[in-house]
Amino acid sequence: MKVLATYSIKGGVGKTTAAVNLAALAAKEGRRVLLWDLDPQGGATYLLRVRAKVKGGGRGLVRQRLRLADAVKASDFDNLDLLPSDFSYRHLDLVLDGQKKPTRTIGHLLATLSADYDVVILDCPPSVSLVTENVVRAADLLLVPLLPAPLSVRTMDQLDSFIATTKGKSPAVLAFLSMADRRRSLHRRLVEELPRERPDLVDVVIPVASAVEQMGVRRAPLVTWSPANPASQAFARLWQEVIRHW
Amino acid sequence: MSEFVVVDPSDELSVDVLGEALAARVESRGSERRSWFDTFDWRLYRAGLVLEHRASPSGRSGFVLTDLEGRRLGQLPAPAGGTPGVDELPAGPLKEQVVGLAGLRTAFVRASAEGRVGVLAVLDADEKTVARVAVDGPLVVDGAEPLPVRVRVEALRGYEKDARGVAKRVGAWPLVRPAEETLFEAICAATGLRPGVYRSKPQVQLDPAMPASRAFAVLLDELLDIARVNVDGTLRQIDTEFLHDLRIAVRSSRSILKVAKGVFDERPRSLYAAELRWIGDVTTPSRDFDVYLLEFDDLVEHAMDPEAMRPFRTLLTRQCRKTHTELNRALRSKRFVRILDGWPDELVASEEPGPDADVPIVRVGGDRLRSAWRQVRRRGNAVTDASPPDALHDLRKRCKELRYLLEHLASLYEKGPHKEIVDELRQLQNNLGQYQDADNQRQLILQYAEELISQNAPAKTLVGMGRLDHYFEHRQAAVRAQFADHWARFDRKHNRRVFATMLESR
Repeated sequence: MKVLATYSIKGGVGKTTAAVNLAALAAKEGRRVLLWDLDPQGGATYLLRVRAKVKGGGRGLVRQRLRLADAVKASDFDNLDLLPSDFSYRHLDLVLDGQKKPTRTIGHLLATLSADYDVVILDCPPSVSLVTENVVRAADLLLVPLLPAPLSVRTMDQLDSFIATTKGKSPAVLAFLSMADRRRSLHRRLVEELPRERPDLVDVVIPVASAVEQMGVRRAPLVTWSPANPASQAFARLWQEVIRHW
Repeated sequence: MSEFVVVDPSDELSVDVLGEALAARVESRGSERRSWFDTFDWRLYRAGLVLEHRASPSGRSGFVLTDLEGRRLGQLPAPAGGTPGVDELPAGPLKEQVVGLAGLRTAFVRASAEGRVGVLAVLDADEKTVARVAVDGPLVVDGAEPLPVRVRVEALRGYEKDARGVAKRVGAWPLVRPAEETLFEAICAATGLRPGVYRSKPQVQLDPAMPASRAFAVLLDELLDIARVNVDGTLRQIDTEFLHDLRIAVRSSRSILKVAKGVFDERPRSLYAAELRWIGDVTTPSRDFDVYLLEFDDLVEHAMDPEAMRPFRTLLTRQCRKTHTELNRALRSKRFVRILDGWPDELVASEEPGPDADVPIVRVGGDRLRSAWRQVRRRGNAVTDASPPDALHDLRKRCKELRYLLEHLASLYEKGPHKEIVDELRQLQNNLGQYQDADNQRQLILQYAEELISQNAPAKTLVGMGRLDHYFEHRQAAVRAQFADHWARFDRKHNRRVFATMLESR
């Protein structure tokens, strides 16, 4: 079982969109995929039309009053299941802090599902917290969406330091440019320049597209209803990069 | 999962009618060609899996893996146009699972059907699918009567309660009754297949008082049946195990005919012993090449550059193809067909049965086992460090005969001592088998090195073959050095006592 996590310290950068579309692409290939929506805002849960509710909430899961497997919901797509968000996840840091090994709890919980899934994708809340520390320890690969903005290099540097301070084996990091608007000259310039400054940035740019916004209306991954859309194509390329890097 | 059958086959339950009744959305509909895959010995089914390929006239094509209850475990796209083989499954965990379970065997189409398929999605207030209802049929099954329309309610993980509610509503319809078996099982039943049921050895419970001629005829009948069912797969070269099982059935029959001297009429007995020997002879070259190719990747690991061994593999593959063509000619010959045409009946029906024909099998079996045991001991004790390979080869053959006899007559004896003796014999056979294999490999390498030289094969290929020969020479010597210990273990007093206890256990 491979564990991927879409993560960004900053919100609104296309993290959930990437998580949902990559999960759909992996499932389409026949991989058994679990998407865990760890963000209390529940964006991924909403996009897959599942009710954002977990019996016993985050506390119940972490303290194993409810088996992780029993909280799983099938999506409408073959091979793709979801562990829904719950509003109580906003207190997940506190719950984790009360555990014996607070930074390894999510990894231990996921280990109980290793026979059921080939790929787990964690959609993380935008923060630096005990939850993200758990995610960094549990993940094999961190997927980091970056906006084509001058501050992005700094964001990556911050992330590098955060990973360096986290105990245990460090995950591989795969950063990609997200929400790039070709009509804006700054974006065009940064799409050219940023990879030169950060060679670890993969050569995939997710374009800004009205179809991506439409996902919120259709409530389904873009790649399932518009596979030819340039954004879908970019997600498909990103998925190939993921496979190459894990 | 719940499955229902439309009571009156003339009633064609429409997807639209059912969709309206359940307030469900039609997710897909159309006609499909459906094929179910499994290995000949049902390895997928026995692991709780059903692999199905579906193809629509529009070109949509895909594999679906479900559990035995019909719960979907995975779905994969497949190349359009005809029914693909499992080797065309896209690389990934599903393929790994299927290929891993199949092992040496190949999953191939066991049953096919064609007909209408409609899928309804039952939605909740958020328009999330909480259950699926598949309306299958009527299905025209290849080589069988059509199956009536079936309705299957598929539960989705986390929404089982909703599926139960839908199933309750469907079940309340007077048009349907609960299905007694899944669609796959119904298709198999219609075509005369029994999923999960497979035997490569006779499974006969012998009555100790049964006349020996009858007991041997029952065993030969079973073996003949096993040989027959493996002919088609051998001809089509679906996988190498068809030929393997066919040969074991023939070899087992030969060993029975050998010990049945004095039981059956001598004329048909010796005639069929010779005919079975012929089958053994015509199948040996193909089996040898199958084994070489199956073991090739492990084999070439011992050469320094496995890539350099490619010309050797190409040559073996070509020879393998050639021997299989010759084998198929033999298997289609009148002679072969006549041998398989119920010859155990001829042995029993003879008017001049042997003197032991009516002696209880427990007595004849005991005599023959004692004799086979003595043969093994005599030959084993005659082997010295200076004995040629043929002496070990001969001992191996006697061990095989004893093993077959032990297996066929197992039902006459107590399990404990019988198992102990078989286990001890197996260990000795493993040692002899490894020695024989290494000897065969060396002969093969020498034979093909000469042929590769005549074909101007690269020097590195020949150097690699030299390394392989060196490896097998060492292996053969090591196995040979262990023989004395293996033999001493087998021939110890304890085993002789266990063997005697086994024979007296009836």
